[in-house]
Amino acid sequence: MKTLIVIKEQNHAWVRNAFPGIHPLLLTLCNKPYIEYLIDFAILSRSEEIRIMSDGSLGEVEAYCMNGSRWGVELTYSNIRTTDDITTILQKNSRFCRDNRTMVINGFVFVDYDKESQYDSIINTMPDGVIASAENEGCLILRGQERNPDAAPAPSPPINLESIDSIESYYRISLDILKNKSSQFVLPGYGNEPECFIGRNVVISKSAEIEKPVSIGNNVQILSGTHIGPDAIVGSNVIIDKNSTVTESIVLDNTYIGEELDITGKTAFQNMLSDPGTQAVLSMEDPHLLRSTQNNGTLSALLRQITHAITALTIIILLMLPFLLIAPLLMVQGKWKKRLTDYHGAGDKKVISIATGTIPNQGVTGKLASIFSLNRYPLLFRVIKGDLSLIGNLPAAVSDNSSAPDQDNMTHYYRPAVFSYAEAENWPVIGSDAAIVERYYMVHSNPLKDIGMTMKALINLPHKNTPK
Amino acid sequence: MTFHIDTSTGSNIGIAVLQGRLDVTNSAALLNAFPEWLQQTTSIIFDCSGLNFLDSSGLGAFVRCLRQTLDQNGDLRLAALASNVAMIFELTKAKQLFSIHPNLQDAIDSFSS
Repeated sequence: MKTLIVIKEQNHAWVRNAFPGIHPLLLTLCNKPYIEYLIDFAILSRSEEIRIMSDGSLGEVEAYCMNGSRWGVELTYSNIRTTDDITTILQKNSRFCRDNRTMVINGFVFVDYDKESQYDSIINTMPDGVIASAENEGCLILRGQERNPDAAPAPSPPINLESIDSIESYYRISLDILKNKSSQFVLPGYGNEPECFIGRNVVISKSAEIEKPVSIGNNVQILSGTHIGPDAIVGSNVIIDKNSTVTESIVLDNTYIGEELDITGKTAFQNMLSDPGTQAVLSMEDPHLLRSTQNNGTLSALLRQITHAITALTIIILLMLPFLLIAPLLMVQGKWKKRLTDYHGAGDKKVISIATGTIPNQGVTGKLASIFSLNRYPLLFRVIKGDLSLIGNLPAAVSDNSSAPDQDNMTHYYRPAVFSYAEAENWPVIGSDAAIVERYYMVHSNPLKDIGMTMKALINLPHKNTPK
Repeated sequence: MTFHIDTSTGSNIGIAVLQGRLDVTNSAALLNAFPEWLQQTTSIIFDCSGLNFLDSSGLGAFVRCLRQTLDQNGDLRLAALASNVAMIFELTKAKQLFSIHPNLQDAIDSFSS
């Protein structure tokens, strides 16, 4: 018995839009890649060789499934043309099929099988042709000569097909597997109880509640106060932050769910939230609500650092004369008050000591110093040194726990800087509004934009400091 | 962003029509304009039929406007939220804070019922 799995790009084009970056054949249903369901069914049908065929790229699938030794079958891969029909495909693969009974799974369909059933005997008694078909698209076809001519006609096959043609059908099939059919399939994860599948390296806070049926992938953090389930599928490399609820929902791999959120009846993938019922899709721009858990490349961080350093150097040169003229006068007058404080550093810099200066906005020298923000001038050298960014978050003092960056997962969005995005946008620099503004720009700014925002901060700061 | 007073029900109901995006780049404009509207009436509706994107700063602006309205013993109601905009209210549980109506007329009628 051999199996041909024929899936064309047009069958699953919606997956690329809904879940960008995921190969459709590797899209997980209940934390198990779709292609594995088909391989399992082929094995239940006593297939020894399986060929996966597509008119698109199969590189990722081949890298995942390899030669099939994991399942004890021989897996091969082949490209087809978009215009090839089943007859043409069978002709082109006649050497693969030879005289063997061949099953063709055509289309991006979910095969609703039961691992306890004996499909080889069923299939061997069935006539050639389409033995099952999905409502919209996709079918199961048999070809070959292994049929036992003396056997009684087979009953209707207990094989149902369902097209996975939208987020709605994907959501419905996934939750159906979890709620009603988990015993029919081999699902990943460990669990002492039925309807509860938990992967490796899952950290669940003591105050979190897990209500089955639930499926949780690998490397998942479920923080305090969260409520997962019932009917929740949480993928791998997911972080669910404090006091959030995930019910009747699917959280796909590499997704961060923020604090105090309620995900009910939704599909969350990285920064995209979908409602299967209304087909509405929301692309979140707030990283503290929903985002990918995968880090951006370090190359962009390096480019940012270089840009900030060059801009800081430019500002140092431009403001050197005012600083050298005004700062000594302020120090002699006793108006320049310096204080050394410990602040949280970015990344692996745990604590940095920064000497901050305050200048009263009074008198000619004080007002001039405010216009040029000269109290920030010494900090520009720390930008060149790499301790601070030119623009980002205002440094959070170590002694002030309320302003400490969230160590759990937001540290890579904390960038202590000379100027803050909130200052540039003229928002109050403390409070939750400032945090939202700063997080927005942390995600959406780029080195060029940072230069513009720095200029904006330099312009806005004197207006802030001017008494009204 | 436009604002006008509707007197069809016999009382002054302020209707602010929001268009396009409400995010960190323009939510401050809403916050700056709102106190003037509140001086004209404390019954205000945000007509969101033209609003196609809202982020957390926009939502924060909505909440602040609501708070200011409640301080004046009034109410701020929302009308005609698009599906994707409504999702952010569900996600953040802000749906519990606002009276949300499927269309503008329903929101206007709710002030008289």
